[in-house]
Amino acid sequence: MVEIKIANDQNSAIMKLETVFFKQAFALCWLSLILFLPSRAQETGKLPSKTITVTGRLTDEKGDPLPGISVQLKNGQVMAISDHAGLYKASVSADAVLVFTSVDFAAQEIAVNGQAVWNIVLKRQTKELDDVVVIGYGTQKKKAVTGAVVSIGYNQFKDRSFANITQSLAGAVPGVNITQPQGAPGQPPVIRVRGVSSITAGTNPLFVVDGVPLENFNLNMINPQDIESVEVLKDASSAAIYGSRGANGVFIITTKLGKAGKSIVSVNYEYGVQKVTRKVDMMDAQQWIQYYIDAKNNAWVDLGGGHQASDPNSARTSIYKIPDDFLTNPGQFGKGTDWQDVMFRTAPSNNVQFSVSGGSEKTQFLFSGAYLGQQAVLDRNYYNRLTLRSNVRHKVSDKLTIGLYTAITGIVDRTEGTQGKSDVISLGLQSDPIFPVYNENGNLGYRDPNSTWFKYTAYGDLNLWHPYSLTRFIDKKNKSFNTLTSAFVEYNIIKELKFRSSISANLANGKGDSYLYKNQGYGYSSLLNSQASTSANYMLNWLIENMLTYDKHIGDHSFNLLAGYTTQKQRDESSGATAAGFPNDLVPTLNAGTTYSGVSSFATEWSMISYLARLNYNFNNRYYLSAAIRRDGSSRFGENNKWGYFPSASAGWIVSDETFMRRVKVIDFLKLRVSLGVAGNNQIPNYGAIGLLGASNANYASMATLLNGQTILNIANKDLRWEKTTQFNVGIDMRLLNNRVTLSAEFYNSITKDMLLNVPIPDITGFNTQLTNIGRMRNRGFELNLSTKNITGKTFSWTTDINFSRNRNTVLQLGPGNAPIIYTDYVVNVKTEVGKPISNFYGYVFDGVFKNQAEIDRMPHDASTKPGDPIVRDASRDGKITDDDRTTIGNYQPDFTAGLINTVSYKGIELSFMLQGSYGGEITNQNVRYLGWWNNGRNMFEDVANRWRSEAQPGDGKHFRATVANTGLMSQYSSYWVEDASFLRVKNVRISYTLPARILAKTPLKNTRVYINAENVYLFSKYTNYDPENTTYNATSYSAGSNGLAPSGINAPSGAFIGVDYGSYPLPRVITFGIKTDF
Amino acid sequence: MKTIIRTLAICCITGLAAGCKKTFIQLAPVSNANAENFYKTKDDFDLAVAAAYNSLYTIYAPEGAVSYASEQMSDNAIVYNISGIEADKWAFKDYNLKPANTMVYQFWQDFYKALFNINIVLSKIDDADLSATYKTGVTAEMKFLRGLYYFDMVRLWGELPVVTTPLTGAESYGVLRSPQADVYNLITSDVKFAIDNLPLASAITVKGKASKGAAETLLGEVYLAQGNKASATTVLQDVYNSTQYQLLPTYASVWGPTVKNTKESIFEIQCIGGSATTPYSKYYQGFFPNTNIFVFYGGGMNQVTDDLYNEYESSDPRRDITIALGYQNGATFVNQKYTKKWTDAGAAINGGNSLAGNNFMVYRYADLLLMLSEATGDAKYLNEVRTRASLPLYGTASYPSAQYGTLALAIEHERRVELALEFHRWFDLKRTGRAVTVLAAKGKNINADKLLLPIPAIVRTQNDKITQNTGY
Repeated sequence: MVEIKIANDQNSAIMKLETVFFKQAFALCWLSLILFLPSRAQETGKLPSKTITVTGRLTDEKGDPLPGISVQLKNGQVMAISDHAGLYKASVSADAVLVFTSVDFAAQEIAVNGQAVWNIVLKRQTKELDDVVVIGYGTQKKKAVTGAVVSIGYNQFKDRSFANITQSLAGAVPGVNITQPQGAPGQPPVIRVRGVSSITAGTNPLFVVDGVPLENFNLNMINPQDIESVEVLKDASSAAIYGSRGANGVFIITTKLGKAGKSIVSVNYEYGVQKVTRKVDMMDAQQWIQYYIDAKNNAWVDLGGGHQASDPNSARTSIYKIPDDFLTNPGQFGKGTDWQDVMFRTAPSNNVQFSVSGGSEKTQFLFSGAYLGQQAVLDRNYYNRLTLRSNVRHKVSDKLTIGLYTAITGIVDRTEGTQGKSDVISLGLQSDPIFPVYNENGNLGYRDPNSTWFKYTAYGDLNLWHPYSLTRFIDKKNKSFNTLTSAFVEYNIIKELKFRSSISANLANGKGDSYLYKNQGYGYSSLLNSQASTSANYMLNWLIENMLTYDKHIGDHSFNLLAGYTTQKQRDESSGATAAGFPNDLVPTLNAGTTYSGVSSFATEWSMISYLARLNYNFNNRYYLSAAIRRDGSSRFGENNKWGYFPSASAGWIVSDETFMRRVKVIDFLKLRVSLGVAGNNQIPNYGAIGLLGASNANYASMATLLNGQTILNIANKDLRWEKTTQFNVGIDMRLLNNRVTLSAEFYNSITKDMLLNVPIPDITGFNTQLTNIGRMRNRGFELNLSTKNITGKTFSWTTDINFSRNRNTVLQLGPGNAPIIYTDYVVNVKTEVGKPISNFYGYVFDGVFKNQAEIDRMPHDASTKPGDPIVRDASRDGKITDDDRTTIGNYQPDFTAGLINTVSYKGIELSFMLQGSYGGEITNQNVRYLGWWNNGRNMFEDVANRWRSEAQPGDGKHFRATVANTGLMSQYSSYWVEDASFLRVKNVRISYTLPARILAKTPLKNTRVYINAENVYLFSKYTNYDPENTTYNATSYSAGSNGLAPSGINAPSGAFIGVDYGSYPLPRVITFGIKTDF
Repeated sequence: MKTIIRTLAICCITGLAAGCKKTFIQLAPVSNANAENFYKTKDDFDLAVAAAYNSLYTIYAPEGAVSYASEQMSDNAIVYNISGIEADKWAFKDYNLKPANTMVYQFWQDFYKALFNINIVLSKIDDADLSATYKTGVTAEMKFLRGLYYFDMVRLWGELPVVTTPLTGAESYGVLRSPQADVYNLITSDVKFAIDNLPLASAITVKGKASKGAAETLLGEVYLAQGNKASATTVLQDVYNSTQYQLLPTYASVWGPTVKNTKESIFEIQCIGGSATTPYSKYYQGFFPNTNIFVFYGGGMNQVTDDLYNEYESSDPRRDITIALGYQNGATFVNQKYTKKWTDAGAAINGGNSLAGNNFMVYRYADLLLMLSEATGDAKYLNEVRTRASLPLYGTASYPSAQYGTLALAIEHERRVELALEFHRWFDLKRTGRAVTVLAAKGKNINADKLLLPIPAIVRTQNDKITQNTGY
């Protein structure tokens, strides 16, 4: 919140901080009192000596009458309110001083001096309340907004360095939880508006870019510097105008357009540096060798038969053997290699922007171009993006306006490390520290048959997935191109009635290629033959919209009517192929291969027809009503349920404009809002309602003949329809103390019913799930946004923004018999059951480590338990350790999140810093499966060095003993995997300096600013892996292009595993230096 | 101006007209066929039948249900390192299965998915406008498969929900576990129908499809499992006398990537090697030790125990055809016994997968001969098998009768070595009632309850009326 208001009030001197805080706190308390108590202030002023009747007409600068203006005495006593014609009449003393006040206009004082007629022209105040907010299919003054809509202007994200605009909003918007699952460039955040509203259906919000609704759109395709504002429609009443797509919230992105006047040429250059500042603490070679030896010896002794830890290799069977060097001379390995240092680097980025904007009364335009060249912190990874935009709007005649907005984006990138368990970063952590970066032959790994390291290949449990074997011995490149274009005509049929028609298209093309070199420098876990693959995708989405709007003012009544009709259709195509059998590594394209696999192409479509209507009404700019309805028909839904209605209604009351509030001087503005609406969620597979036939895993053979087969893939559901979320919202907006305190608070209760649930059905049907409308879920929450102008001096100012959100998610009903839904992926279980939030982590509770056999004998335990194994809590209290002892061990959803932004400016210098916090959530560290106990000789977390070794050396009581044959449930999913995800992050620090005008006076430069922006500055968290925001599984989405780990479990939506981190990409610290200048 | 208005009007009217069509939002899938119009023609049913046969690849996969039970739970095989969730995979050999075991649940799903693909054909074929001969033939094939699967399942889980038609989710809640006798009744009636309506092996044009002999062999084993040796004798004798089958001259000639559908083969799962897009054979790679040193990843499944290796008589040529002692890693030889029955060393490799060509025999003639000895108590058939292996015949002086003193023990021994790692051992021990005795003696943590797998926990979460097996 960078906006600086230079207040021209009396207290312009710099006040002491304490005083400000005290005053504000006091004011808040006092305010809450007067809000709920009737005003009883009594005026006991002396009667005036002589009374005259003053009349007059109040107009704005254009001469339009101003209704609702308060005519007051100096002491605040209201004498009259102007009517719809702007006329007023007040009986006052002849020497009175009258004050004309209103929220929208600058107060004006006159001394009556016996004059009976005073016609006053009031000057409109440009205040935030007059700002126009973009809502669905139109705009509204901020004052008139009755739903829960947040508007974020360019100034609030102008210096931020993210490629995706929503990343810049993280922590700044209450009720909108934006987390960064992975730190790779170009990775989209996970966005949850007011909690998660679905179990199976997609949970991404709808993005509307310059009026074009785009499902699962990749916002990286829009250059943030081209964006004028982002509006978030949080409640169902404001989102309902987007009907069956509004339930996850709506982000409206509006791009810039020039203004009439001199053209502005703007140039901006940024240089950035990214660095991983928070590493995972892994064992070094010595610690790891000790662990390895212990694990082998313990398991060997466990076998019984008189085995001793001192038995030599010759006496042992193969999986219990230990390399001689580990025993005789472990020192030769030193500390070994820190693979994180190998794969991560300090990575620079360059961002150049150029734009020209301007125009005349008839024509406005913006042309812009930007190039972002970014290296990633991961070796050989990069992200390069070129964006070009042309926005033009032209008034052909008084009645006719046309426009064309076009954005072209090309992205060339190589992004790896985001697939978790078997991707570069996770594999780097798993690699054993004993191996060098290069062997004596200059090759990467110990699989080099000519290397002395080759002897270790005899041990099946030594692991090396050298990062370079994946980044330097596989060539990869992705190319994606996107064109988003929208053309419109607007025609004023009569003054009040406007027709708008538009046609838009979003065209995306992408291609990816990779080539794997034979043997990968001997650095990978096996020697693979060379292999190449290619993939291509295409998407065309088109939209035709026709809208009529009717604006009418009759006296104090204003109407705005909207009626519209839209059709939209999208087709996606994809194809791919893999080739192997390359004779050498000279030609990387598929033609050089000899065997082909994975050759396929695929196409899918959806379409939609919508009718919509909305009425906005206000009386006297004080009472606002809005009602809307949308009717959607979608190809995705069942034959019997193609169409649905989405109604909404909301009301707002500007309490501060009421007579009885005029004297409450401390309150400048007070609005109450209430809304109710129904929005839908249609994010399911395109043919979810249809029983599909598939040929994969259906063929049989006979001798050399292939017998083609086909089978049913899913159960048809002709009744399938969208999820409906009904949300009730009450809100209050306030400005206090001469507009120095702005407060906005919301409460909402939202019920999602007819959930699009892949209901688990008994497997005896031959299927695990059936897509059905069943179940209900509630999200209930509270949001608060408080902005204060602590100091508002001419040269020095300081503002603070605080936001707070709390959401409670509860499942109210599930499928038949309310049977809970358990999804499992790589040992981790998430369980959704009635009465609890979705996706609870579900496993055993570990209560430390058994110190000795006596302790085991005293407590319930699994039969295989040995001293040093985990103490498993008997949660079911039946005296036995069984599956039934699994219980809820955490949930990712935080109890609350909060953000704090402070902005201080002194002359041309502006300093801003932002804190972001999340409290009360848990995260599953799925890397525990590899790094928390023996899993075939991978490297371990450093903490595991504090393990139980013997009764005399019990370690930290948390980490159990080492053994290659896991016992005592140590390898089961348990509280050992679950960590506190609470964090406090210094999210952003910015310093900018605007060069004084006098310096620039003699140059062609205007408005020149230099700045330093730092993102992800510091993280306070106890989490073992990189970042508690990390999650390897993305939000559920049924469109192509999701870049996270897909659950291996059948029909498990990836969103069910949000909050599970299986070796994600760290979030680097990014520091950017920038200069921006206008000509 | 007027023209502009007119153009506008036209635009918006055409726009409206285009959209108003209800068909605009009725989109047929592009890349999949709609199941609605399927199951009508002979072509449709040929495709559906292939899909039903395809389930053999899953059920009899190296890491499939039958493999885990028959070998992992026996004394033949073990796993050391294996990819995936090791704890859940080790639980079979350790007799430490819990209802939440993910593999057990996977197997449960595999079987019922396979049954769906069979039941959908059976439920649709009656109403199809096709020749009676075709319909009867397809029905018999499907009933053979259904009988085979239910036989595996009843031996794994005991009482079962019996599903014979495609069920909706709602209907499925009413289907609870039936007594084993009912499951066996269904198996018997299905397989009898197959016997009555399937052609002899020699009359089968599409090699690999179920034959009368296959169905009879299956029914023979079903009868044996129920202790009905008389009925078993009748049906197995019929196969013996059919002259459709014979032992190949040597044990070695039974194996190899190109040895397919020979006279010894009674029911054989068909694979095509060399291509990643055809159903290639996964047994070679799956049974290879879990190592990354080659261009394919060894699966590490069913690693051979010393106990099995030592079961062979010293002069038995079958031992070295069955078991490899280890593998060469550079200059080092790594000792780890694995089976080489399905080796296809020259197979093409794609993306870390060996595209092998070896078929897998569910039933072969040697198996039938040994079952026949078991049913009749006549060592004649057993000795046919030993004759081929050039080993002393049962009943002769040089037979190791000190170790295998009764015909029953001799058959047990012979089946173990002749059919080693062909997914029989644990079922054989269960059938003869020897499982607990034999396996406990070898250190397995076994009791009578553990001869059945647990009903997966999730099945009972979804429908709490489904009962659990004793001991879980």
